[in-house]
Amino acid sequence: MNSQNNDMGLIVKTMARVTIPLIGIFGAYVVAHGHLTPGGGFQGGATVAGAGVLFLIAFGLSETKNRINKTLYSALEGIGGLVFLAMGMLGFGVVFFYNTLWREGPVFNGEPGSLLSAGYLPIMNLAVGLKVYTGLVSALFAIALFRRWKK
Amino acid sequence: MKTTFGALSLLFMLGVLLVVANPNYGLQFGLGGEEWQKYRYTDQYYIEHGVEEVGGTNIVTDIVFDYRGYDTLGEATVLFTSIAGAIALLRKWRGEE
Repeated sequence: MNSQNNDMGLIVKTMARVTIPLIGIFGAYVVAHGHLTPGGGFQGGATVAGAGVLFLIAFGLSETKNRINKTLYSALEGIGGLVFLAMGMLGFGVVFFYNTLWREGPVFNGEPGSLLSAGYLPIMNLAVGLKVYTGLVSALFAIALFRRWKK
Repeated sequence: MKTTFGALSLLFMLGVLLVVANPNYGLQFGLGGEEWQKYRYTDQYYIEHGVEEVGGTNIVTDIVFDYRGYDTLGEATVLFTSIAGAIALLRKWRGEE
């Protein structure tokens, strides 16, 4: 099991401990402001997934194995896709993908440019960001776990 | 020698492409040509009506999640399927270990 303890040195670990929260906060900002500023669910989710990959590289596979719950991640990915589909189905009174929250909905219909505006767009951004983050992290985790050639 | 030749030919091809694809005097694809705005009015429509119809001030998000919502739905399905396939292929098989 010595081959799985391939974490980096002290300097890389310390720098990763400092930068991972900053990357995560920036990605969450990009996701949450997806309907106001450049960016969106895919881009912010990929940024947060970059923080996860940095953790995987800096701290090694065995430490990541203790922290990542594979079942939770796959469940969260499915939930993200279902929330996206449900937001599209919300306007079924008129047509699929009708933005009913923005036209006459009770919430998310503030001034254009404020955070609680644009109908289903922020919720869809959150769903897609969650989906992309969990999907990319679990895919890279699976690739890191795959080491049949070591035999 | 070979590398220099390859780089020079790449540079030549780039120059030819720059001349051919120039919108002023190069090839003009599709409908339009001179009066392209008459046939390609949708981008102007998005810029003018996007904020009031969808609500987001980021027009790209308006297009991706509302006007072209089906496209994004398919994209999410493709992502889900590819991740599921990758994990199903890379997991530990029953015969091993």
